[in-house]
Amino acid sequence: MEAALLKNIDNPNAADILEYKKIGGYKGLAKALEMEPQQIIDEVKRAGLRGRGGAGFPVAMKWTFASADPKFPKYLLCNADEGEPGTFKDRPLLEKNPHMLIEGMAISGHALKAEYGYIYLRGEYPAAKHILNKAIKQAYDNNLLGENILGKGITFHLAVHQGAGAYICGEETALIESLEGDKGQPRIKPPFPVNIGVFSKPTVVNNVETLSNLPYIMEIGGEAYAKIGTPDCPGPKIFCVSGHVEKPGVYELPMGTKLRDIIYTHCGGIKGGKKLKAVIPGGISTPVLPPDKIDCPMDFVNMPKHGSMLGSGAVIVMDESVCLVKVCHRALKFFEHESCGKCTPCREGTGWLRAILGRIEEGHGAEGDIDLLLSVAGNMMGKTFCPLGDGAACVVQNFIKHFRPEFEEHIKAKKCTVTG
Amino acid sequence: MKIITITINGKEIKLEKAVTVLEAARSAGIKIPTLCYHEQLERYGGCRLCLVEVEKMPRLQTACTLMVTDGMVVRTETEQIADVRRGILEFLLINHPLDCPYCDKAGECDLQDLVERYGPAKGRFKEKKRKVKESLADSAIVRNMERCIMCTRCVRMCEGKQGASAIAVIDRGGHSHIEPFSGGKFDCEYCGNCVSVCPVGAIMSRLHRHSYRPWQVKEQHETVCPYCGVGCTVVAQVRDDVIMRVIPKLGSAVNNGMLCSRGRFGYEFVGSKDRLTVPLIRKNGMLTEATWEEAITLVAKKLSDIKVTFSSQAIAGISSLRCTNEDNYVFQKFMRAAVGTNNIDTTARTGFAGAQGFIENIFGQGATANIISGLANSDTVLVIGGDPTTVNPILGLQIRACARRNGNVLTIGNVEGLRNFNPSKLLPKLQTEVTLLEGIVTALREKKGLPGSNAALEAKIKDITISADEVTRKTGVAETEFLTFVDLLADAATFSLVIGKDIVQSSGGSYKLLLLSAINYLANGRIYLLSERANEQGALDMGCAPDILPGYRPVAYPEFRKKCENVWHTELSDKPGLNLFEMVDAAEQGRLKAVYVMGENPLCNIPDSGRVETAFKKLDFLVVQDIFLTETAKLANVVLPALSWAEKDGTFTNMERRIQRVRKAVHREGMDDWKIIAEISKNMGYNMDYKGAEDVFHEAAKVSPLLRGLTYEDIENGDNIYPYKGEPLRDAMEEIQADRSARSVKSGTLYLKIERPLFHSGTMSTKAPALINIYPEAVARIGAGTAQALSLTEGDVVRVKTKTGSLALFVAIEKNDDNLSVKISNNFEGKSAFRLTDCNLDPVTKAPCLDGIEITIEKVTA
Amino acid sequence: MFNETSIKEIEEIRTKYPNSRAALLPVLYVAQREFGWLSPEAYEAVADLLNVPKATARGVGTFYAMYKQKPMGRHLIQLCTNVSCMILGAEKLVDFLKSKYGIEPGGMSPDGRFSLVIMECIGACGTAPAMLVNDNFYENLDKKNLEEILGKYQ
Ligand SMILES: Cc1cc2nc3c(=O)[nH]c(=O)nc-3n(C[C@H](O)[C@H](O)[C@H](O)COP(=O)(O)O)c2cc1C
Ligand code: SF4
Ligand code: FES
Repeated sequence: MEAALLKNIDNPNAADILEYKKIGGYKGLAKALEMEPQQIIDEVKRAGLRGRGGAGFPVAMKWTFASADPKFPKYLLCNADEGEPGTFKDRPLLEKNPHMLIEGMAISGHALKAEYGYIYLRGEYPAAKHILNKAIKQAYDNNLLGENILGKGITFHLAVHQGAGAYICGEETALIESLEGDKGQPRIKPPFPVNIGVFSKPTVVNNVETLSNLPYIMEIGGEAYAKIGTPDCPGPKIFCVSGHVEKPGVYELPMGTKLRDIIYTHCGGIKGGKKLKAVIPGGISTPVLPPDKIDCPMDFVNMPKHGSMLGSGAVIVMDESVCLVKVCHRALKFFEHESCGKCTPCREGTGWLRAILGRIEEGHGAEGDIDLLLSVAGNMMGKTFCPLGDGAACVVQNFIKHFRPEFEEHIKAKKCTVTG
Repeated sequence: MKIITITINGKEIKLEKAVTVLEAARSAGIKIPTLCYHEQLERYGGCRLCLVEVEKMPRLQTACTLMVTDGMVVRTETEQIADVRRGILEFLLINHPLDCPYCDKAGECDLQDLVERYGPAKGRFKEKKRKVKESLADSAIVRNMERCIMCTRCVRMCEGKQGASAIAVIDRGGHSHIEPFSGGKFDCEYCGNCVSVCPVGAIMSRLHRHSYRPWQVKEQHETVCPYCGVGCTVVAQVRDDVIMRVIPKLGSAVNNGMLCSRGRFGYEFVGSKDRLTVPLIRKNGMLTEATWEEAITLVAKKLSDIKVTFSSQAIAGISSLRCTNEDNYVFQKFMRAAVGTNNIDTTARTGFAGAQGFIENIFGQGATANIISGLANSDTVLVIGGDPTTVNPILGLQIRACARRNGNVLTIGNVEGLRNFNPSKLLPKLQTEVTLLEGIVTALREKKGLPGSNAALEAKIKDITISADEVTRKTGVAETEFLTFVDLLADAATFSLVIGKDIVQSSGGSYKLLLLSAINYLANGRIYLLSERANEQGALDMGCAPDILPGYRPVAYPEFRKKCENVWHTELSDKPGLNLFEMVDAAEQGRLKAVYVMGENPLCNIPDSGRVETAFKKLDFLVVQDIFLTETAKLANVVLPALSWAEKDGTFTNMERRIQRVRKAVHREGMDDWKIIAEISKNMGYNMDYKGAEDVFHEAAKVSPLLRGLTYEDIENGDNIYPYKGEPLRDAMEEIQADRSARSVKSGTLYLKIERPLFHSGTMSTKAPALINIYPEAVARIGAGTAQALSLTEGDVVRVKTKTGSLALFVAIEKNDDNLSVKISNNFEGKSAFRLTDCNLDPVTKAPCLDGIEITIEKVTA
Repeated sequence: MFNETSIKEIEEIRTKYPNSRAALLPVLYVAQREFGWLSPEAYEAVADLLNVPKATARGVGTFYAMYKQKPMGRHLIQLCTNVSCMILGAEKLVDFLKSKYGIEPGGMSPDGRFSLVIMECIGACGTAPAMLVNDNFYENLDKKNLEEILGKYQ
């Protein structure tokens, strides 16, 4: 498959508007401006595009809700908070292909009749901020943003809003709070952002990768696009693979590519020929899989059937040298650090789970600690305000589910016995 | 309207509008446990205690956030739910100190109650608990943040309702904790509304720390706050005849669960050891303890003698804006019927009385009696002449609420208490307000035309023409700002105008009131006249004024006098008496021989108080009836100890003219103010026999058309705002007069401004230790620029001087001040700002003009 | 108080949003740059400028990990130790920073040259372990290149 999103990525000047135009950039926007907003939404619907931020929500459906709301102005927010550990798929899009995102946003803005857009960029990507700002300026200078775009009477303003180090701001309502100058704590839903979002106006939040798909859909048409990938989840998907593989990195592959193929075919297999021990397939919040469960098609619909989730498509590969108690402990440190503190089970539970895991890792685990972990995780699961807390509980539950003996061994031996 | 039917625990509930599942359950008497939910606050959904099962929803749902939909089936008390709640409580307890035996909240702690209901924590948490030291940084509030369960009710209260935003959640996740900006001292408005909403013992009042257990409070008395004209409902909780704490009441009409610092923390003056306990009589120049009998006979005799030797007109009475309607009614009756003079007045004369009279003369009686909560629902509010958030704090909250609901809040001058609400403000140069107001009147009239419903007013304003250009030139207000301001006023659909004393007490005050009335008229609004004292309105209504009888009936009209004469069985003088300022003049000139002061401190509360002191020293006989030995009482020949607000029954009338019951909360030896007066009266040969306060009210309701036929029963719930069954209120009566002569100012000079502090309103507040700890004494507030020019720093002592007087005060530096004025705090005995002011009166409102007073500052070297 | 350049920058920031409150995050960045960290004075200056209550401004500021609540060294090392970096040796780098430069996570080197903050995933997992020094990414780290890189920051 020819790359659509990571196109031209090796060109050191890819971020420049001229280079982007050379490979057909902004043709999709020109085409979209000839269309009625509803026609664009219909095209996206035909494409079957699902959000790439993690939940896989159908894009056309979200857009339809927002566009049906009579309130104006409407806002389009690009979620560039990319915080899920293991994920680094949006960064190349932002740093190397910013114009594709800008074009995608302008197309989406027109479809939504939104005149304002923000890119909510995580604070950890300072380089991307400069690149984006420069690209936005170029786009304004070329009448591709701002008022009366390409003389078609359409207005779309775009600015970058930089986050400041909070994973939870990737959650769309927390992102909105943060954009409004508040703490990034999730809001009560309903009302949903499509009705009452940023500045109390209808708001669509889409991921960087999602929006970057728009020029391509405009270019080849929804129908052709729908033929890529799996029927329920069409299109190309960027997988980012890290850990113990020979060739870690970002890979643009059709949706539904098997996890095993990603690891062994595209990434050259386990580093140094070691044995595979575990894979986290979609970012740290998604259930870990043991080696015998990696024959699953990576898409939003199939992964749950195989006991995990596609998430952000962030594959973390671990070989036999890795202590999974340690990984689980580290993951919980992350959740504890990132819990926003709004709801009781997540605020208190993440720290507690981390403490028990820390105890076990350091060799002070006690009999019954594994059941305690499961019980505490159970008291969190399904009771938190937002999915972050569930994610934390889910990590503990699945590590124990697949690797309980390793935890037991740790407790019994009072130390780590993993070698390799 | 479609009826929504839902089923909770098998019980069918019908609802007329969509509410939350929690509200629906409560309405049906089904209790769902909650912690972060509070009916006054925005929905939050954080504690997760209210999780319930809802059919067709895969996840558990928080009842406090989920809106009902037709056909919804909910279960709130399954085994699964109980487990979930136990789990949540366990989470809350892992970092909780479990110091219930030491905690003052025990017994009324939501967390304790819930654990009691769902079972104890299993003690599975082996790690170290979070440790936080008790904070005693504040005098009124004690914090034990170790007990905090992060429900954020305090923060939502502070931000979302009080609008002080003094505290916030700091950090995040498990490190989240709640702190004021400084990390230590709150340094806030000290409303204590955070105390009200904290469900555990994390934030509590320090006033009753470790002094009792909640269940030891057997008595609760619902009464009215003694401080300002808003008249908040408060509940005094009493143990062993001592007020243990004062709390607000949810659902009460005026303040609905909110209080300000004075109302909540200012009650301790009641039990102060400085209270007067026995009558004092001056013997050989010394105030000496005496019996009631001695004192009463002496007063009666002296007054009778003076009446005979000089005439009734040589005697005057000053009654109290802090005493009940009953006290005031009896007092004026005593002056009129027993002494035989209309020489009766109050300090309402220093502004409120004149301003209200002026406005009522234009719009009719009752024009300023508007529902306070109406401010929040106005689309536009204009504030001028003071900071409502300090003078009448709970009224101020309504303006903040208006801003929060995206109403337009406009101010003329800086209103510090509204700062966080980004009001549209105009800042005219000193003494150019008249031009600005004339400009607004001109522009509004041109935009909207004259409505034609008030010919008298229109005649006065039809020719005013000040162009926007001229406004800019003279006042320094930018034209665009002025025009936007006027547009907002012109577009107002529901307009409210809030007038503070600084306007009334300024040169040209009556003319400014005329212009403000015109603005209100053109914008079709309603007027709120700020009132500093709890029963200012009531004292006036009771006829404590030299020219009016109870119910605002002018003494000059025979038929009004007749009505009183019939009930009082005596003949009344038709000659209006001396007003407050005339009394001072008359005393100075030796025409006045005796003054009877009930619950007032003229030496502190009348401008040019140095002169008041000299004048009062010339009197033959001064009686002061009070709860403390005030500056004025120290000059008296006889001092009579009175009962305080907490010790008596009666009524107050607030600025909305809502008549509310003051209820006795604690007992004290002594007599009600009215009772003392009645005893003296009897000794002077004029009998007043009342069985109790209710009896007095009953009589007042006979003579005053404002109270006609009212009984205590009618006002029991506090929802009576007159006119109630009364005769129609009188319409505009006299020709409108106004005086526009304004004092001029020159540059390079500092001018005096009066600060009316949030924490103090005079004798009572300065005897309340909590308030004194927050704001210990009068200060001179100067702008940073002035301070620098005079090389002054915070805490220096300066001598401030005006033509009239001088005071030594501590310096406080303001960072956003204008550097044209020096603010002197009001209401401190011995350091009253009124020591520094002269007392020139507006010829129409008779209010003193306190603007344009030059002031100099000199550093006092230690 | 802010200097003139910052005031200009803040004014420009404000034009990007429909109200001043929304400018809080970017303005806190400006304050952090100018004051070195978000001191009480910095919060007050921001609060005054945007008409946001100062306690609220501090509440918001302390929520985000990248706003610094204490003075920082001249250069800020932000080293990721999340799973992908950890399994490829990030912890050894932490130990190295401690032994070689005397920097504890969350602390400052005794000479004030570096501050070290442990990061949760900085989006460089494919080239782990990775860090940011000030605004620059460094990837595929080991002790050797780490030392070289830090040498550039005096
Ligand atoms: C805890 C949490 C973190 C999230 N982080 C991100 C993120 O970093 N980037 C992202 O695009 N979406 C993230 N999401 C998903 C967003 O809430 C939202 O679904 C997404 O931005 C929608 O865009 P899409 O439909 O294009 O995927 C997160 C969700 C949760 C609950
Ligand atoms: S689960 Fe709760 S505490 Fe955790 S991030 Fe979501 S809302 Fe915040
Ligand atoms: S009361 Fe519903 S979540 Fe706290």
